[in-house]
Amino acid sequence: MNSNKRFERTPQCESAATRREFLRAMAAAGAATLMAGEPRPLRADEYGATVKHPMAKADACILLWMAGGMAAPETFDPKRYQPFEIGLSVEKVMSTFPAIDTVVEGIKISQGLENIARVMDRATLIRTHVLPDLGHILHSRHQYHWHTGYVPPQTVAAPHIGAWLARVLGPINPVIPPFINIGQRLEGHGEAEEVKAFTTGGFFGSEYGPFNLPFPEDATMAVRPPKGMNAGRFESRYRAYQKLIKESPQVEYVSDYQQGSMLRAVDAAHRLLGSQEKSAFDLSLEKKDTFQQYDTGRFGRGCLLARRLVEAGARFVEVTTEYVPFLHWDTHENGHTTAERMKGEIDRPIAQLILDLEDRGLLDRTLVILASEFSRDMMIEGVPGSTARDQSRAKTDVLKEPIHYGLHRHFTGSSSVLMFGGGTKRGFLYGETASERPCLVTKNPVSLPDLHATILHLMGISPKTAFEVERRPFYVTEDGKGQPIADLIA
Amino acid sequence: MDIPSPIIRLAHCVLFGLLGTTSGAALRAQESKPAFDFAHSVVPILKAHCVECHGGHRHEGDFSINTREKIVDSSSAIPGNSAESYIIEMVTNADAEVRMPKDKPPLSEAEVNTLREWIDSGLPWEAGFSFAPRNYEPPLRPRRPELPLPADGRTNPVDRILDAYLAERGLPRPAPLDDAAFMRRIHLDLIGLLPTRESLQEFLADANSAKREQLIDELLADNRNYTEHWLSFWNDLLRNDYAGTGYIDGGRKQISAWLYRALMENMPFDQFARQLISPTPESEGFIRGIKWRGNVNASQKPELQFAQNVSQVFLGLNMKCASCHDSFIDRWTLEETYGLAAITANGPLEAYRCDKPTGKIVEAAWMFPELGRIDPQAPREERLGRLAELMTDRENGRFTRTIVNRLWHRLMGRGIVHPVDAMQTEPWNADLLDYLAVHLAENSYDLKQTLRLIVTSQAYQSRTVALDEPPAGPQYVYTGPIAKRMTAEQFVDALWQITETAPKQSHKDVAAFLTDAEKKDRTNYRASLVSSDLLMRSLGRPNREQVVTDRPSMLTTLQALDLSNSPLLAETLSRGAANIAERLADAGPTTIIDWLYESSLSRLPTAQERAVALEVLGSPPSPQGIEDLVWLVIMLPEFQIIR
Repeated sequence: MNSNKRFERTPQCESAATRREFLRAMAAAGAATLMAGEPRPLRADEYGATVKHPMAKADACILLWMAGGMAAPETFDPKRYQPFEIGLSVEKVMSTFPAIDTVVEGIKISQGLENIARVMDRATLIRTHVLPDLGHILHSRHQYHWHTGYVPPQTVAAPHIGAWLARVLGPINPVIPPFINIGQRLEGHGEAEEVKAFTTGGFFGSEYGPFNLPFPEDATMAVRPPKGMNAGRFESRYRAYQKLIKESPQVEYVSDYQQGSMLRAVDAAHRLLGSQEKSAFDLSLEKKDTFQQYDTGRFGRGCLLARRLVEAGARFVEVTTEYVPFLHWDTHENGHTTAERMKGEIDRPIAQLILDLEDRGLLDRTLVILASEFSRDMMIEGVPGSTARDQSRAKTDVLKEPIHYGLHRHFTGSSSVLMFGGGTKRGFLYGETASERPCLVTKNPVSLPDLHATILHLMGISPKTAFEVERRPFYVTEDGKGQPIADLIA
Repeated sequence: MDIPSPIIRLAHCVLFGLLGTTSGAALRAQESKPAFDFAHSVVPILKAHCVECHGGHRHEGDFSINTREKIVDSSSAIPGNSAESYIIEMVTNADAEVRMPKDKPPLSEAEVNTLREWIDSGLPWEAGFSFAPRNYEPPLRPRRPELPLPADGRTNPVDRILDAYLAERGLPRPAPLDDAAFMRRIHLDLIGLLPTRESLQEFLADANSAKREQLIDELLADNRNYTEHWLSFWNDLLRNDYAGTGYIDGGRKQISAWLYRALMENMPFDQFARQLISPTPESEGFIRGIKWRGNVNASQKPELQFAQNVSQVFLGLNMKCASCHDSFIDRWTLEETYGLAAITANGPLEAYRCDKPTGKIVEAAWMFPELGRIDPQAPREERLGRLAELMTDRENGRFTRTIVNRLWHRLMGRGIVHPVDAMQTEPWNADLLDYLAVHLAENSYDLKQTLRLIVTSQAYQSRTVALDEPPAGPQYVYTGPIAKRMTAEQFVDALWQITETAPKQSHKDVAAFLTDAEKKDRTNYRASLVSSDLLMRSLGRPNREQVVTDRPSMLTTLQALDLSNSPLLAETLSRGAANIAERLADAGPTTIIDWLYESSLSRLPTAQERAVALEVLGSPPSPQGIEDLVWLVIMLPEFQIIR
């Protein structure tokens, strides 16, 4: 079994042609989508000009989601290090880890990220991603905002950015679902409903929604015949199905578009379940030492799965550290210890993912983004002057015990984003934040619409791309106003 | 308390204030305005000063600003060059005699500058936007159309109208539906379940010519199953669910118990609407909307959600656009939306245009004052009561047209006005819509009477027509009913029915409101009474965050994948196969096949189908064989599409 078999991607110019064809096909299907009140792509911008998509610099996109608010001062934007000391005023705490050098001169990151430090020469590091505080920090709401570009609630269901890529670009390999979501459970925790609200195709419908794989090690179950059914039985079941369809005397009363779409969908599903590519979902096919390199936990294994899926032709893959209230990056207390563990979980797999993609010649055309809904600070909830309620669970003026040590408040004034490959610069630092509290942006702020516009631009999508929903335009960046940041693009 | 996003803006100001430095990129971010905002900055100026004489039907001086093309073609503005654009010259001319707008105060300097910027940035325009008036305005009052004479003894008013419609166009009537297909369709449409094999056979054997009407009346009288089927329709429409965003911190309230009772009692629809608009504690969840903690966009404050939802649900109107600015797609204005919102507001409500305060406090009012007014000074409860009265006023034909159109859509596959939430659109048959609406009012707003009227028509009892493409566009011509895809709940209920695998317990919130008598003789619960699960979600049971009035009509690949290998479905099939094996323990394979076909498709298999099925089933039938055969049948388009 050749687990490294790569899906041959179409060359750039052809992929543009494919998109045009796709859009043309969509236009043909326009009437079909209207039936269900589904959205129709708008072909012209407000100048009456055809929306021009930029030439794509990346085909695939992997979003590494640091769910729960990753503290930039503990990771990619280290500030003055302050060791734990009983009786120390908490105001003194900026970072609870010392900074370390990276392979790029002038870029230092936090201790515990040594592996990522070694691949920093492939990265663009943004330290100045600024997000609104929305008046009250609710993680799932901020995550909704980051993933869709729109603050909830909305009058129509806003699609996830992965659904936008799936809808506008389509799959790379038709067998692999274009939007795959790894590591997030959608049931069984306090904000599950809120997480579900943005983990959808939105108004694009389920065709463009996420293919959810909460447990990477079990991903293969999602593309295997049901438990207890062997391949032979599965095949003959499908053959019998085709025969029955052929024999059905009832076909004439049902419109072709209804019946045809149904049979096409069943066929596509069957092709995935019977395809070679489904081995991409199977982590057990990896060499043991490679697997171990990634195996720091569910997130690490998710990175490995993402690599395999991108090799097989996935368009968009999100891997999350998983959002569960008060767990993982959501450090309302005991932040130092938690950050140490989280860094241990992400450091090796992310670095390995970059090296593996590079090794396979995929990094140049794969955009990898690490981001979070906001950062953290020892003192400030939101930004200075914010009305957001303090939600720290380790409230104290001086450090008394380790539980107090760490950044426990949600800080929206600046957060870090790391980008690799896919047309971004290498070994490049963008933006600057104040070295003393409040650690606001002192240079080159990056808003969410502009960050999204940059990602979309690299993927070959105009930030003005819009669909008509309920007879009004709905844009991929809020009101079509995101602008790609030229400085970030190689 | 809501503090909308000026806070956010303030935060940015603080940020920039702290900059001190003027690095290039920061300057760029600070100075460069994003894409020019035609909708929100230019339209108000044009509306205030130009449209009166140069928009809509009027084109003084042979100049119309209705569309971008008209402006460019007339050369009155040169995109990218305001200095040489005639419009600017006209609005800035020093001679008051010549200056536009004629005989009116001149534009402010800021307004002129905005127009300059607009022209200089290339004259951006909102796609599809026009100042031209819409040429169709739906009537407000009810209207009783004159019915054409019945043809060939087809006396149902629906048939009288449609037969004439078809005859006028020289179109054939759709072919009549056979008893078996009728049996399946009417069960799924009225109570959301498949007919059992026994009831099917009994019905087919019945020689009574009134048997269809009798069956219809029986099904409509089956209150429990009627309720548990239509519950999903209403939950979608009223965005009610057992779980969802907002419940986490009391930002949302269920109306499940109230809704269940209302359907069980077949509450008249006018009363139903009144209790939702002017609610009791049990029904107040609808107008309360969903409240997230923190700042929300001004257009999504609970009061605005009220305006949007009340107008969409009861009038099929879209006031979402008009929640930010005067709508571009229909006649609704920002002020009308805020007027509606102010009815439920606890204090003065300031209008926000595109999330910016306008300084204008809007008084409570509703959009059809010709039916009666709302006293803005009255206390909130009185205002809501008055709105409820006005909404359900006998003279409000829009109210009845909207709901009968929704029911027609569910039964016949396409609205008379379509999409069903674009009630400003011209119906393909106004007489039909108006008749159904008047009929509802005259039958004490009894929705079951509307259903009965439709399903007793020959039009409903016709074969579905195969169309080349979905019947979406304005050119639609009725030729017969259109097949519908089963909803997630219908699919799951049908599967549970065949396999006897329905859950033994309802959602806990349902258990809390069902009476002991209602629980006593129950062995299982239907899809609408349990939480959505992965399979139902995948098949299109929506997150009810927004009002949903139409489920997706096509199966998608991810859905098909779930149907092919979801553990949930596999487990159901495996339990179901065991149940079927037990139930038909002594039967041979042919009996099992025939039973399954009749139970699922309301027909016997053909000889060829039986042969394929036999191969799958094995002889003697194996549990795996039964499992696979059930899967094959429920995956047939014929099963999933209600024809």
